[in-house]
Amino acid sequence: MLRYFLIRLGQSLALMFGVLLLVFMMLRVTGDPAALMLPREASAAEIEAFRERMGFNRPIIVQFVDFLSKAVVGDFGESLHFRTPAMTLVTQRLPATVELAATGLLFAVLIGVPIGMMGGLKPGSAADSLARLLALMGQSIPNFWLAMLMILFFGVQLRWFPTFGRGAWNSVVMPAFVLGLPVMGQIVRLTRSTVLEIRSEDFVRTAYSKGLEPPVIYLKHILRNASIPIISVIGVQFGYMLGGSIYIETIFAWPGMGQLLQLAIGWRDFPLVQAIAIFTSTVVIALNLLTDLVYAIIDPRIRYGF
Amino acid sequence: MKAKLLGLLAVILAVSMIVVGCAPAPTPQVVEKVVKETVVVEKPVEKTVVVEKQVVVTPTPGKPQPKGTLRFALSGEPNSLYIPATADKNADIAASQLYDPLVFQDDDGTIVPALAESWEVSKDGTEYIFHLRKGVTFHNGEPFTADDVIATWKYGMGEGSSWPDRYSIAKSVEKIDDYTVRVTTDGPKPLLLVTMHDFWSIIPNEYMEKVGLDGFQQHPIGTGPFMFVEWVKGDHITYQANPNYWREGQPRVEKVIFRFITESSTRVAALTADEIDLTKRLTAEEANQLLSVPGVKVIQYPVARIFYIAFNNLTTGKGLPTEDAKVRQAMNYAVDVDAILKSLFGGAGKRAAGFVASSELGYGVVKPFPYDPEKAKQLLAEAGYPNGFKIDMACPTGAYSHFEEVCQAVAGYLEKVGIKVNLEFMESAHYWDLEAKKELPPLFGDSWADESGEAYNRLKGALGGWDAPYSSWSDPKIDELLDAISKEVDQAKRKALYEELQVYMQENPPFIYLYEPYTFEAMRDRVMDYYPRASEMCYLNKVWLATPE
Repeated sequence: MLRYFLIRLGQSLALMFGVLLLVFMMLRVTGDPAALMLPREASAAEIEAFRERMGFNRPIIVQFVDFLSKAVVGDFGESLHFRTPAMTLVTQRLPATVELAATGLLFAVLIGVPIGMMGGLKPGSAADSLARLLALMGQSIPNFWLAMLMILFFGVQLRWFPTFGRGAWNSVVMPAFVLGLPVMGQIVRLTRSTVLEIRSEDFVRTAYSKGLEPPVIYLKHILRNASIPIISVIGVQFGYMLGGSIYIETIFAWPGMGQLLQLAIGWRDFPLVQAIAIFTSTVVIALNLLTDLVYAIIDPRIRYGF
Repeated sequence: MKAKLLGLLAVILAVSMIVVGCAPAPTPQVVEKVVKETVVVEKPVEKTVVVEKQVVVTPTPGKPQPKGTLRFALSGEPNSLYIPATADKNADIAASQLYDPLVFQDDDGTIVPALAESWEVSKDGTEYIFHLRKGVTFHNGEPFTADDVIATWKYGMGEGSSWPDRYSIAKSVEKIDDYTVRVTTDGPKPLLLVTMHDFWSIIPNEYMEKVGLDGFQQHPIGTGPFMFVEWVKGDHITYQANPNYWREGQPRVEKVIFRFITESSTRVAALTADEIDLTKRLTAEEANQLLSVPGVKVIQYPVARIFYIAFNNLTTGKGLPTEDAKVRQAMNYAVDVDAILKSLFGGAGKRAAGFVASSELGYGVVKPFPYDPEKAKQLLAEAGYPNGFKIDMACPTGAYSHFEEVCQAVAGYLEKVGIKVNLEFMESAHYWDLEAKKELPPLFGDSWADESGEAYNRLKGALGGWDAPYSSWSDPKIDELLDAISKEVDQAKRKALYEELQVYMQENPPFIYLYEPYTFEAMRDRVMDYYPRASEMCYLNKVWLATPE
């Protein structure tokens, strides 16, 4: 178990280094930040002075080492646009994104798992058709389009929910629904296919033959075994959702990290983009690691494999 | 440049936008709307920049108390409320409501007293004596004196300022006594007062010293009509009316809440659902859609920005046919700008008559080049290119609305008169990088805004030759006229100089002049006395709500 953990941890750290390198390089080959950040009338001397002050004129490798040593302690410098430490801006936006992601995920699991189970237990039934339809829709409807339609229908026509922003309790409903929908689709499909597979396994037949009530079999035998892949999907998806969705947060004017990222990219705010990209990657990598560990705890085959 | 970044932002957003249907062309200038039954509200429109005036309810007589909450949707979150650090129009709009400058530029462009009650200019135009208004206090109770003017000037040039040159335009600012200030400049600076209006928003010296720049950014303080209450990052900024405001009877709304909604279709939805009162920067399609919404009014006006295709006689364009003025005239005649505006913007734009925008000083002396391909061919033949020539052209992508299509259309029109254009598109950041290095092809497209009410900065920036980073053109006659403008303090003489320059630039065009874009804004019917400027700036001290909740 410890060996497994250490190997996964090592892999994660290597991955993290790769992310840092990639983020650093990508931002420096797309344009000259000095010329962009300064007003258009700025003279060549002013641009040069700015470059000097920001350290953009140093050799790239020196910039990288400097970047790396600060990144380790969470210091990504000051946002060029907002003139406050980039990490502070990220943490300010975190609660909104966590709220959105958690609500979206909760919604996806609470709807996705039961529907998927119904479909898996009775393939070919009306419930199954509905499950497959929902899964298909969830995964194929473009979320920005759905978001706009929901705003127009539930926000403008019916006035059930606010059209934008994060305010009253119900303001999270629409963005969370749109954010959770593709995940729900994925969970429905996964639950359905896993349940379908498990229901014909020997231990399930045994459970039936020893006279257990179907609900008990569904929950204790089938669902528990089906939960392993579902948990891994939830872990991975939650990581992505915590990165904030640019589209959804922008359309709903949700003050989370996705919106901040969109702003940062538009303003070519190097430090801020870096902080968000690396923060998000760290969360995704950490959640993947955590999922793998949970997985190993639930399923002995994995931990004894090493 | 900052407006360009906004454009970039807008296009990043555009990916997530769905344009609904094909809207019929809106009538320029006047937006007519039938309000319920058959009551047509008349909106007389003066000049070009004036917005519809719709006075339905007369303001209550006597001393009105500020009433109601104005919910103002900005197209993005301000980066700062400290004027020298503001990076875009959103920040500028939000921040400006907190402060006052010494002098104010009125809606019609004239400079009127604000925190300075009066001022005198020396004969040579290099020394200004300002007599400050007495009895004005900052939001924290600190009295306003000459020291605050000096502090504003110093901080504006110091660390954390993005616009130091807007303050260093004054060589020195000295205190004569508590209520008298002397500002001296290095040679006459005709744009000093306008610059002071735009940037010298007076900040309290003592408070600034006590809390520092970071503290000030957390809780900005000025003498302005509104006082800072809170800024919930990413969500909203709240202001409250300043009860001790020195302008009698202002402000007229009790609270202002700025919301940040980058997606314009969401702004439309929020306005329709009455969750916001006012919003800017809508597309022509959205404006059209809102015309049919009860309780909403729409305004449009040309913004002080000019789109153009630049020629080059400094680097890549050297020795090419475009060095001949006849060829450049021909290319102006060859492009049907009105057709481009009609098909790409639903007519929401105004053909540029040169490089001075319609809201700026000296506009109107020249007419736009008419579309005349025959004349273009004739001029090309006269210049010795009866069969045209080949030329490279570049345009930025993702920078401005529909600009890629505009460039393709321009290339197509040029092709029609025999000029083979090799059009190349580049990502905007890379593009501006090359533009600054003067490495773009001999024809390139771009746009330039100016907020001062005059075209000087735009002209100097785009035509300053080697001295200006984004210029690709140099002409001694233009230099001479620009130099004269930069030193002329007298308004009438400046106007004459601008006119002379425009006539010259019509005969010797350094650009293919394209268009001034329109901007669309919409608000609930209850919003009164809201007058945005051609710079898209607005001041909310006069705004009131007809039926405050």
